[in-house]
Amino acid sequence: MSKEVKVNSPIARRIVKLAIAASMAAFASHPVLAQAQAPAGGAAAKRPAAATAKPRSAADARANPPWRPVTTYVPPRTPDGQPDIQGMYEPGYFNQPAETAVGGPWKPAAPKGGAQIGPTDFGARQAIDTDPTTPHVTPTNKPMVVDPPDGIVPMQPWVAAKRKEIYAKQEKPEFLDPRVRCLQSGVPRANTPVYYNSYQIMQKPGYVVIMYEWNHMTRIIPLDGRPHLDPKVRLPMGDSRGRWEGNTLVVDVTNFNDDSWVLGHGGIGEGQPAETATSGHGIVHSPELHVVERFTPIDKNIIRYEATIEDPKAFTRPFTIAFDAMVRGREDHQLFEYACHEGNRDGILMATGVDIDPSQK
Amino acid sequence: MVRTRVRPVRPVRITVRMTLTMTKAQATVVRGGLAAMAIAGAAWWTTATMDAQAPARRAQPQAPRRAYAGPRTPDGKPDLNGIWQVMGTAHWDLEAHSPEDGVPGGRSVVEGGEIPYKPEALAKRKENYVNRATADPLSKCYLPGVPRVTYVPLPFEITQTPKYVSIAYEIAHARRIIYTDGSPHVEALEFWMGDSRGRWEGDTLVVDTNNFNDKTWFDKAGNYHSEELHVVERYTPMGRNHIDYQVRIEDPKVFTRPWNMRMIIYRRLEPGLQLLDYDCVSFFWKKMIK
Repeated sequence: MSKEVKVNSPIARRIVKLAIAASMAAFASHPVLAQAQAPAGGAAAKRPAAATAKPRSAADARANPPWRPVTTYVPPRTPDGQPDIQGMYEPGYFNQPAETAVGGPWKPAAPKGGAQIGPTDFGARQAIDTDPTTPHVTPTNKPMVVDPPDGIVPMQPWVAAKRKEIYAKQEKPEFLDPRVRCLQSGVPRANTPVYYNSYQIMQKPGYVVIMYEWNHMTRIIPLDGRPHLDPKVRLPMGDSRGRWEGNTLVVDVTNFNDDSWVLGHGGIGEGQPAETATSGHGIVHSPELHVVERFTPIDKNIIRYEATIEDPKAFTRPFTIAFDAMVRGREDHQLFEYACHEGNRDGILMATGVDIDPSQK
Repeated sequence: MVRTRVRPVRPVRITVRMTLTMTKAQATVVRGGLAAMAIAGAAWWTTATMDAQAPARRAQPQAPRRAYAGPRTPDGKPDLNGIWQVMGTAHWDLEAHSPEDGVPGGRSVVEGGEIPYKPEALAKRKENYVNRATADPLSKCYLPGVPRVTYVPLPFEITQTPKYVSIAYEIAHARRIIYTDGSPHVEALEFWMGDSRGRWEGDTLVVDTNNFNDKTWFDKAGNYHSEELHVVERYTPMGRNHIDYQVRIEDPKVFTRPWNMRMIIYRRLEPGLQLLDYDCVSFFWKKMIK
């Protein structure tokens, strides 16, 4: 959504609101639009000042896995000495597959009476990409999952089965994408690049604060080494504890409930088999989820994100995702209010038959 | 920005009260440097404590000068970073009210005691009150709006930088990003939490918020506003752990004149405290799905 809003007349104002509502509704409900495919022939992302380390031994490989950037970039410092990564960020590339499709490529049918909707129709992201004043990353076809090397999320059988069920019964409220229900994304899903999100990072002594535009989620990450919350406390966004390792912010996240999905961006096509999915849609987890995130500024504009996801109940082994999650936006960018649930009266009515706000009729 | 080292707040306050009640002779005990502060402080403290009874004659109460002795940020502003919470009963009813089942009794936080509704606007409040169990926007997990989000009985955390004061609220993961960089309001939009632009007047953070919708309430008793709401909040630190919170409400569609409310914001001092994300929407869906 454009951040340069100067709308004066009440009619224009209504049009803007309608357009926003329509674009959101379209995204949530349109199976084809919601199905994001990576563009063919995507070039490898250019990463100035970042090089890939070649591991020499097993121990070295663990400390410096091949997907982890080695960067010479040294960010400025905050008054309290933290690497300063504050500012406005746009999502990196959003249409990169989260995993390799095992069932072969799946082609959605053209929508009735309309043109074929392809991956280039994500107007908002295009607007960002064609804005010469914002930095760019080049989309790639590389899977988000960098470990295991086959790029496939190592789901326990019940998670794979649950995913199939979610794909088959996506209209039922209990199988609806938690995002469509306006629940918070959880972690690492909050960092999945989607065009309707942007970010602002602030730092204060002892804390990094990450603010997500989508659904006004805020993570206040303490850096003082305090222990995690009592395991009895379960939170949608988990409990984050951070530390700086050099210029990398490492965040350990536990104390989740199981309301969220691990990954996922966009939606799924009508009739799409779960085996062909590449978006991470419908991958659930248990409250035992444990995520270790790494936010590395690889140059002054790009934050490389890596997350290792561990949940022995849901996954057969830990797996790791990595991608350029955040690209510096314009300094005059503003996070706007994303009153998701407040605007979801129709969605709730459709899914549950309950009208929570008859005054909106 | 003049940064002087002043004495801790508490002894000053005691002196203040003494000067008010002591005889002339006793008052001479109060010495030089302290006296000036004491007088400024006295004026402020008296008005603060008398507010509930006092008629609304001060249009915009002035912040105490040099009263703040707490920590400051590197750019010289009072350091408001941390977790805060309002105590009291404004969340249930801004005006004076008797205790009821589930509702603690309370004094009015409204200057002058009563909210100056236009006669034709009172019926709507009455209707809201009658239907409050389901009509209160908070009962639908909607964002609480401003200033209600400040005095719901849950804590909030301030993150302060030279350009922004961001407030994350435990309720509904509501958030405000208050721009203190001199940037103008956005134009002609409607938000649940409004569009907040702040500035520092001495040690007082003044936040001007507009661009509201007409869907939020001020409290559980059905006090409401229209989309013409304009809120000016004044956060004046009284010391490290207390903020004198004054709010001017303006809405010519609903009220005969602008009016003020005032309360104290307390710093939560429990070690290791953090916000615990009261995500009402997730509770809502648990009820829906079962």
